[in-house]
Amino acid sequence: MADIQVKELTFGYAESKPVLQGISLSFDGRSTAIIGQNGAGKTTFVKLLKGLLKPTAGDVLIDGQNTREATVASLAGRIGMVFQNPNDQIFKNKVLDEVMFGPLNIGMSEGEAKEHAEAALALVGLCGLEQENPYDLSLSERKMVAIASILAMDTGVVIFDEPTIAQDWRGRRTIGSIIRGLRERGKLVIAILHDMDFVAEYFERTVVFAKGRVLLDGGTREVFAKEECLRAAYLEPPHVTQLCKSLGYNEVFLTAEDFVSHVKGNGFTV
Amino acid sequence: MAHIAVQHLKYRYPLTDELALRDISFTVGEGEFIGIIGQNGAGKSTLCQALCGIIPSFYKGAYGGKVLIDGEEAAKTPVAELCRKVGIVFQNPFSQVTGSKLTVYEEIAFGLENLGLPREEMVRRIDHALELLDIQALREQNPFDLSGGQMQRMAIAGIIAMEPQVIILDEPTSQLDPQGSEEVFRAVQKLCLQGITILMVEHKMEKIAAYSDRVMLMDKGEIVDFDTPQKIFSLDCLEACGVQPPAFTQICRGLGLRNGDTGLYPVTLEEAHKALDQIKGGAAHG
Amino acid sequence: MKEISLYEEKDTPIHALDPLTKILYILAAILVPALYGGRTAMAAFIAASIAVLLAGRVLRRTLPILSFSFIVLITVVIIQGLFRAGNTTVAFALGPVVFYREGLSFALGIGLNVVNILLSFSILVLTTRPSDLVEAMVRLGLSPKLGYVLASVFQIIPQMTATMGTITDAQRSRGMETEGSLLVRIKAFLPLIAPVVMNSLITTKERAIALEVRGFDSRREKTFLRERKARGRDKAVNALLAVLIVLALIGRVTIWLT
Repeated sequence: MADIQVKELTFGYAESKPVLQGISLSFDGRSTAIIGQNGAGKTTFVKLLKGLLKPTAGDVLIDGQNTREATVASLAGRIGMVFQNPNDQIFKNKVLDEVMFGPLNIGMSEGEAKEHAEAALALVGLCGLEQENPYDLSLSERKMVAIASILAMDTGVVIFDEPTIAQDWRGRRTIGSIIRGLRERGKLVIAILHDMDFVAEYFERTVVFAKGRVLLDGGTREVFAKEECLRAAYLEPPHVTQLCKSLGYNEVFLTAEDFVSHVKGNGFTV
Repeated sequence: MAHIAVQHLKYRYPLTDELALRDISFTVGEGEFIGIIGQNGAGKSTLCQALCGIIPSFYKGAYGGKVLIDGEEAAKTPVAELCRKVGIVFQNPFSQVTGSKLTVYEEIAFGLENLGLPREEMVRRIDHALELLDIQALREQNPFDLSGGQMQRMAIAGIIAMEPQVIILDEPTSQLDPQGSEEVFRAVQKLCLQGITILMVEHKMEKIAAYSDRVMLMDKGEIVDFDTPQKIFSLDCLEACGVQPPAFTQICRGLGLRNGDTGLYPVTLEEAHKALDQIKGGAAHG
Repeated sequence: MKEISLYEEKDTPIHALDPLTKILYILAAILVPALYGGRTAMAAFIAASIAVLLAGRVLRRTLPILSFSFIVLITVVIIQGLFRAGNTTVAFALGPVVFYREGLSFALGIGLNVVNILLSFSILVLTTRPSDLVEAMVRLGLSPKLGYVLASVFQIIPQMTATMGTITDAQRSRGMETEGSLLVRIKAFLPLIAPVVMNSLITTKERAIALEVRGFDSRREKTFLRERKARGRDKAVNALLAVLIVLALIGRVTIWLT
């Protein structure tokens, strides 16, 4: 199991304006959602985890290795990140080659890379499209190519930057099941998200960022119970949570099934 | 006469075999708020582009049928003229910034300069648009320095200032954070209250249910149904069309809570609250 | 916000001048010495430009421009001073290296010319908003489409640089080395440039449509939000510059005739 320790992390592009201030977090095996308003420092934070940026003060340790002392390329085998826009990375003429690029870079053999790439493409539902040109695919399919190209690297940590953008219901479900699958295989999943219903459905832990600090951190149910605190960060609890709160329930419900089975369990029938 | 009338619209993109729109017909009245839903590839964006003439003027391909906006035929009117009647806002706020203007105020003027409006008229319209979208405080800022939500509201202001009677929004909030989306939804609702006809493509079903007068469900280039949100979100074929109903409707479906008179499921928080409050009371007594 | 434009927003009378007046000044600074044929005229214009740049509080910003051209000028001085055809009078010698007066004098002429042109252009570039300049040119008859391209370049190139940064991050995240030997950098070229090109094409298409629905192609006569700035002061300066050019022209013609 991958291990990430963040200690007193501070970062700023300019010295006078810190983007992140004194963040200490340790990641366990739970799938973790990072939520917060734009500009709260979420993307900067994951770039620091990935070693793309180096801390101004404090440390990030990936499996005990300080990111200050590692190059991005050398960290790439341990920690993968799916960027928001698939067009920022696609450059090969064939889907399979695109997905094999990362695995080959981190030292897998041709055969191994191909095996991982095919497995990753199956996972994202792109079986049979291996020989297509990525640019002939739709944007949501290209997103899946981008996800597969990170999954194929088989890293212990996988970071997603707003994976559900412009996805329809089916796309969201596929991404949700990928996240669950990674979790089951013992990978650490961290995702930046704006879709609270999606967070409620798929993530065990939620961290709320506001103005460069961690405002809330805990189990997802526990975090979404703190409505006032969320509103202070310009966030709203998931729709189901809002409805149940308005009905006067003390328990926090995260999904429709969650609530329906509770009501039915209490002997309700129509 | 209907404000927007689409008659047997068919369209196929160049170099493709399948129709992106197959025989679409519908009408929309003045001041209606229409939600357009469906899975990716259903034809929603294609329809939006046909309504404002980008199809067939920008994208060629095979076109059949008619789109009438306030009696004017979209395919036969130059886009630069049609834009006085129908405006469109796209998903990506960034690519809608002209890039040639240094302030929000001048950015909004871009379309008005193209229309050749006198200066006083421009100033009046820009001030009005800034106020409607609640971005007066940003008027001297550089367009590229804005947040996504602010940039998208600026894009809407740029369209509003041209005073079209119809505004089409193609997933305007998909790239925004929750606060940014809420800002955009509130602004759009305000426009609708001013009598502007709104057609909005959106994946956030709770918002569609809350704001729309009628909802158009599309799949495979066709309109599956076009009716009230309650009717559409109670359809059995919804999942087959790749659409998940609002969370509130999911709960009421799970519990079989239909409206006694209409037989339809609640779609908004308020409606669901009302329906669930009754059973909660009932359960407590029983 | 990163900008590639050199313009600096300040509230000075120079900034307030009509862009066309500044263009006319450049014309005068080039034409008058060329017609009049003296280095005095050139030196006078250089002095005038420095005074104007001082008044516009942007003189310091010309330093990078001048220092860059200085490197070129040094080369000119050395080459002309040493090797110009017709070099006869020795000016001075550094050991075996002999500089000639004719060559140095010629190099001085070139130097004055370059500095004069650079400074007069600096006034325009440093004290005029790029969009005002383009607008002034569109008013003079430049096609609005070409005008748009010129005006947007100033903002869209910095945006592309930002995209380039994201793309580099995305590829480094997949284990691609971007630093190191020339070979490493060459190998990194395709993975970086292909997404940049593709992204620009997509954004350009989207932007073209967004411009279109805002009447970019409208056949109506375009109007301008910003009021035309030509006022009494602009007219006075314009007249003065025009008189200078005409005088120089008359001077030239008289010399020919006599």
